[in-house]
Amino acid sequence: MATLYALQTRLALVDEQSYYEILRVPSGAPSSEIKAAFHEFALDCHPDQYVDAPSFEGQIAGEIFKRGVEAYRVLSKPAARSRYDQGLLHGHLRLVDGTNSVPPPPRMLTLEEVAIRPKAKQLALKADRMISAGRLDDARVALVTAIQEDYDNDDLKERLNALMEAIALEPMSLEVDYGARR
Amino acid sequence: MGVGVGIDLGTTNTVVAVARDGQPVTLADEGGRRLIPSFVSFHPSGRVLVGEAAKERRVVDPENTISSIKRLIGRTYASDEVQRALRAMPFELVEGDKQAVRVVARGEIYTLPEISAFVLRRAKAVAEAALGEVVDKAVITVPANFNDPQRAATKLAGKLAGLEVLRILNEPTAAALAYGQAAGTPERVAVYDLGGGTFDVTLLDLSGSVFEVLATGGDTSLGGDDVDHVIVTEMTSFFLQRFRFDPRVDPVARASLRARAERLKHALSEREESSVEMNDIVRGDGGAFLPATFSMDRKRLEELTKPLIDRTIETCRFSIETIGLTCADIDRVLLVGGATRMPMVARQVEEYFKRPTSTRVNPDEVVAMGAALQAAALTKGHSRRAAQPPTVKISRADREAAVAAVMGADAAAPFGAVAAVVHEVVAEAVDASPPAAPPKAPPRPRPVAATGAVAHAPPEELEEVEPDFEDLLPELIPDEPLSQEAAAPRPGTGLAPPGSPPVPASFDAELHVPERPQAVSPPAPAVAPALSSPDPGVAVQPPPARSVPLLVDVTPISLGVEVAGGYCDFLIRANTPVPCDRKRVFRTASDGQTAVVVRVVQGESEKFSENTYLGDLELTDLPPAPRGEVEIAVTFEIDADGILNVRATDQASGRETLARINLLGAQSDASDVAAMLARQRRHDVA
Repeated sequence: MATLYALQTRLALVDEQSYYEILRVPSGAPSSEIKAAFHEFALDCHPDQYVDAPSFEGQIAGEIFKRGVEAYRVLSKPAARSRYDQGLLHGHLRLVDGTNSVPPPPRMLTLEEVAIRPKAKQLALKADRMISAGRLDDARVALVTAIQEDYDNDDLKERLNALMEAIALEPMSLEVDYGARR
Repeated sequence: MGVGVGIDLGTTNTVVAVARDGQPVTLADEGGRRLIPSFVSFHPSGRVLVGEAAKERRVVDPENTISSIKRLIGRTYASDEVQRALRAMPFELVEGDKQAVRVVARGEIYTLPEISAFVLRRAKAVAEAALGEVVDKAVITVPANFNDPQRAATKLAGKLAGLEVLRILNEPTAAALAYGQAAGTPERVAVYDLGGGTFDVTLLDLSGSVFEVLATGGDTSLGGDDVDHVIVTEMTSFFLQRFRFDPRVDPVARASLRARAERLKHALSEREESSVEMNDIVRGDGGAFLPATFSMDRKRLEELTKPLIDRTIETCRFSIETIGLTCADIDRVLLVGGATRMPMVARQVEEYFKRPTSTRVNPDEVVAMGAALQAAALTKGHSRRAAQPPTVKISRADREAAVAAVMGADAAAPFGAVAAVVHEVVAEAVDASPPAAPPKAPPRPRPVAATGAVAHAPPEELEEVEPDFEDLLPELIPDEPLSQEAAAPRPGTGLAPPGSPPVPASFDAELHVPERPQAVSPPAPAVAPALSSPDPGVAVQPPPARSVPLLVDVTPISLGVEVAGGYCDFLIRANTPVPCDRKRVFRTASDGQTAVVVRVVQGESEKFSENTYLGDLELTDLPPAPRGEVEIAVTFEIDADGILNVRATDQASGRETLARINLLGAQSDASDVAAMLARQRRHDVA
């Protein structure tokens, strides 16, 4: 357990420190030393050590602890550690493996999922498959039939409009568009 | 302030324990029983029976007697486990909001956390009766392999039971804590935990003051119940062969078969062969029951259960290999869970690990004991490094005495008021801060409260902390008239014998706080109320015999989000120590997109769809901009309970954005919780 001042200092430094510095081990330390250092670190910075302190002390400790966990995870695995050491030579304090900007594919419900009645679902599934196969016009036909079953399904109608629009504008890029709507 | 206990909320049995002076003990009910069967039976009288009384009703009233809820909690209705339960369980399950599972009993529909809450209330009542004190905090254990929704649902159950959940703790870790407490030497331990419905294996380094979990693995749908099921199947084929009668068609007969299968299993752990009378299952032509005796030997049982045990061994092998170890690196194997009583289990585990297993600790009680130790460590004023309750003013003499105590033996850091000083003195003396450093100035108001040492303060002068639900249910609904038996005298209503301890015998009583022997509040100190009440229990307690080590546990399952191509991008890998977090930046994929939906899973497969889908993270109200220009940084945190929290900030403005995570089956809306709390109130638990 550390004092509030020590915690605040540690937290302020954590963004400028290497994993070794966070855990307070020399950069050549063997794995046994890293483990021991992590235990020492945990005794200082695990939030459970601050049950009796005001809650913000535990919060500060928690923030530091989470960075220590990141350091420990990297330094205790030889492959990750050597990658980290390489990056550290170029001044990279954290090991970022694709941490940035993975845009999630906005997912649209399949036509089958949008359809309600069993018969409509069946037809919509057919339309889904046609779209995957690139047969957009066939898909349109299947979807129109599906809507005859699901006559009150506005969502399905909207999807038909989107499909028609896609066919009229840029038939080839439909799949991309199909995924990117919403 | 009440006592914190440890509760092992099991699939088949629940155990409650408390740690006093660093020594955990399990608590028994009025009949001396330490195992509370995790059965909840809805009696026609409107009363809710829990434990032994409920278990007895599974034969006469199977439709309204709920069991094995732990197998279903936090799962979606469509999951295999729930679908199997639909066929196997005599009670009715229906689908609720967000694909959650609901139980129907006596015409009412309950969420699963509500059912577990009844069991927890019974555990709470048992502990209160045994201790003669109010119990309002608990560490509740879960299988190490429980995922986020399972943990969150269990935590909600604790809240519904009127408990502040100090921690959701992994069962094998709890067992190791209780065990390590007894062992005391540094070693690497494998905990093999085969319970009623779940299997876990956890590898830990026990080294003095830190217990570090190295890896954990398991199977949340494998346990002693499956052995019962195997025996039931065998019994069924016996009846089919002998009488051409399938006892499973009759829910009463099926329940009765299960009960006897369990007894037979227990008998076969002691003896080589056993038999059970089944004279009330099949009726002959005249309507009279036909006599039948089913017998089985241990060899046959072992033949039938071997595939189940093999699965557990496979899981052990996988976990050990995951962290690059071999069996030779394990110093000790600890067996936990009632199902490890089967001789075959110990034999197969010993064969695999090539060393004798440790059975020194009672496999049924060790988890609750470990949880109790952790509860003590996480309770303010009881913790391993006890610090200050901020309301206490201490004289100079007391300070000096405390300094002397610290310098003499800081290991035996005392509790309460004295410890407050200890905390500061240790900090000032030991902290190697640079000399130019500003002096530590913690904002700790020290209003005048009790005079002199806390130890002399009579409990009457201490303020009561009101139970959690007082805040949530400001307007209490009047009691519904209950049955005759439910109208037992309640403490504080004038019917209770004078001088009886302020222990509510029922849940209702606890809500009527003003009716309890009322404490006289001291002049209100100018601090947050939560911090303002020194615990009367603390003051009179001697320091702990041993301090509780720091537990560094891990998250059992990897957390990931969906990326292009149906793949899973892992943010936090399994076996990462908790709490931990990971930041990801998400960009819009199309022009003018004002919302981003991120699908979140837990699991180990690279393929997104092969993992357990937790729900959607919705980032909404984004400023319309060309695609890719809006960047939202999302921090995924797994807290010490193993529960996911999400925070999002707009990269450009640095402002927090709206991040809503819609978890499947979650029941965390304030209105839902209030409604469930209100319903808990309406039912007495016996």
